[in-house]
Amino acid sequence: MSPRLLLLEDDDGIRTALRLSMEDEGYEVVDAADAETALAAVQESAPDLMLVDLMLGGMDGFSFIRSVRPTSSAPIIVLSARSDTHDIVAALEAGADDYVTKPFEVKELSARLRALRRRPPVAVGPDTDAAHTSHQLVLDRENGPLVLDEAAGLVRRGDRHVHLTVTEYRLLCELGAASGRVLSRRALLESVWDRGYFGDERIVDVHVRRLRTKIESDPGTPTLLVTVRGLGYRLDPR
Amino acid sequence: MRRWRSPLGLRATVTVSFAAGALTVSALLALSTYVAARHYLVDQRERIATRQAFVDASVVRDGLLTAGARESDVIGSVSPPASSDILLYRDGQWFSSSLREGSASVPPAVLSDALSGTASLAWTSTSDGPGIVVGVPLPAVRGEFFEVSSTTELAGTLSTLSTVLLISALVTTLGGALLGRAAARRLVAPLDTISGAAANIAIGKLETRLPGTDDPDLAVIVGSFNAMVETLQDRIERDARFAADLSHELRSPLTTLKASVDVLVRRRHELSDRGQQALDLVEGELERLRQSLEDLLELGRLDAGVATLDLAPTDLGDLVRHALMERHRGTDPLLILAGPVPSSGDATPLPVLVDKGQIHRALLNLFTNADVHGEGLAAVTLERARDQVMVFVDDAGAGVEPTDRERIFDRFARAGSRGSRPGSGLGLSLVVETVQAHGGAAWCTESPTGGARFVMRLPLLMDDNDAPDRDSDAGAQARPGDGVSHGHPSDAVQPATGRSS
Repeated sequence: MSPRLLLLEDDDGIRTALRLSMEDEGYEVVDAADAETALAAVQESAPDLMLVDLMLGGMDGFSFIRSVRPTSSAPIIVLSARSDTHDIVAALEAGADDYVTKPFEVKELSARLRALRRRPPVAVGPDTDAAHTSHQLVLDRENGPLVLDEAAGLVRRGDRHVHLTVTEYRLLCELGAASGRVLSRRALLESVWDRGYFGDERIVDVHVRRLRTKIESDPGTPTLLVTVRGLGYRLDPR
Repeated sequence: MRRWRSPLGLRATVTVSFAAGALTVSALLALSTYVAARHYLVDQRERIATRQAFVDASVVRDGLLTAGARESDVIGSVSPPASSDILLYRDGQWFSSSLREGSASVPPAVLSDALSGTASLAWTSTSDGPGIVVGVPLPAVRGEFFEVSSTTELAGTLSTLSTVLLISALVTTLGGALLGRAAARRLVAPLDTISGAAANIAIGKLETRLPGTDDPDLAVIVGSFNAMVETLQDRIERDARFAADLSHELRSPLTTLKASVDVLVRRRHELSDRGQQALDLVEGELERLRQSLEDLLELGRLDAGVATLDLAPTDLGDLVRHALMERHRGTDPLLILAGPVPSSGDATPLPVLVDKGQIHRALLNLFTNADVHGEGLAAVTLERARDQVMVFVDDAGAGVEPTDRERIFDRFARAGSRGSRPGSGLGLSLVVETVQAHGGAAWCTESPTGGARFVMRLPLLMDDNDAPDRDSDAGAQARPGDGVSHGHPSDAVQPATGRSS
């Protein structure tokens, strides 16, 4: 089944052209010209990916991302007409996963989409109890406990399911696989976002911040996902 | 506005003005005091001399009226004050009370007045200096009486007075100068604050304002200065917004065009030969349009001074290698490391503090320039020179005429005809302005093989930990240079570029 892509863009020309080229890329495209229609479409068709233009009439892209995030963990790529840093950081903080700046190459956009659609590193091997437990990483014994269950593809605190977006989950898996070791921003950008040398390292920083609000007991003074100054980030399970 | 020309500074001018004012006032005062005092003292002295002369004259007259009295005895019996001498002229003969004075001390005017029966007074010079002669006719004894008094004590008083007045005038002048200096310092102090604020604004701290003041004179200046900065800031922000709006307006249709052309390119085989030719043209020109727009917007942002450089410590070698790789699809045949740079690949840190995306774009512009105008890239050389690093981009063309080497960096300047050569005409000026924004320079010269050599010079990032450690082990890669001394809290937004390769 082809992946469903929600396209929210108010410019008719761009929307139509993107629809055509994304369909060529093999996506099933659901498009919307305004945020309200798009919200309804998210409820209805549960897209696997979203492409969101930031500058919209009426409800803007930022608000759309904020209202869609509680219910959808699907990766969101923002289409920004400005390489303006404020807009991009604001969109990432609202919950976007990545961005492209107009005018972009369709090739670039599909590369971004492909990177975000990659499966999380799910545990392989027979689904025995032993294998099951071995792919559970206890992150925090005291509060919860907080468990990264790679077999089930989710994070639990006690019995409760901690809601992470797909990208946040993949970021946590990368950090978990190297737990106790420092991962540089560049390495994370490469493994999670598939971005090369010129990738924007702020993407990693904003995602780490977002992840901390969900897994740290005090996000202001992180003890689990720590910053190693000048080097990168490290996950310190307790 | 006419430029206010003064050989002296404001401070010196005020000081000198105060001193000159004090000198004028005190000199006038001293002079008038001296004149008045002198007039009064001279008047007084003449009166005393006259009274004394008349008293002495009556004594002489009474003595001479006595029968058988000799003139010299009569004169000797009179006891005038010590500084005065008495002369008597009788029957064509002069008699004197002392040897000091003789007939020479009596001016002819006084003598003739006395002879004609009129008492008179005149200034004369005595053997002791200036003196007063009073002539009194004595008709009763047919003689003329003269009294000569020396006025040396008056001269002494006047000279003391003038000395005192001169000294006080000088002291007043000096006081004026000191007062002027203090006043000037007080006056100029707010100017120092203003110039400090202006300097801050010039380096881009547009939010700088002058602090408020209670001084009604300064309040006007402070108010208009702050209003000026406000306007300036508004203007710059409006320009920046305009650039952003323009970019939005132009980027949307371009996005549509690119996406649509991509759909067409995917279906190229469905088109006829003529259709394919047309599509190739559209595709090529669209790329040129996109490049021009990017260059134009970037130049506009650099012009407005709002190009926010996302500075990050970066290894220039890495940056050049990545630019070359993008250019030559994964091969790295041209990079030469020269000078005191060890030539062992990754271990050559050339740390620079740059916006990766912008320097990358500048490098690509130089490479494109070599391809378009110089028959291809011949070599790229990195050379370290003390605290600078040079990137030489050599092409295989015929070089640039020395007269053209500056002109080609102008906007829309081209060597040769426009013809079919692609490029926006902005590439090289963008290179220069980008490199200048990074504190470096770019220029054109001749390569050893006779082609054009474009040089990009950037300042090296001098770090405390001189050799940034680069741990390329699995997963844990140190970022060169992003270390101790320049470390911002890594949790803060990291400077980086928005453009992906």
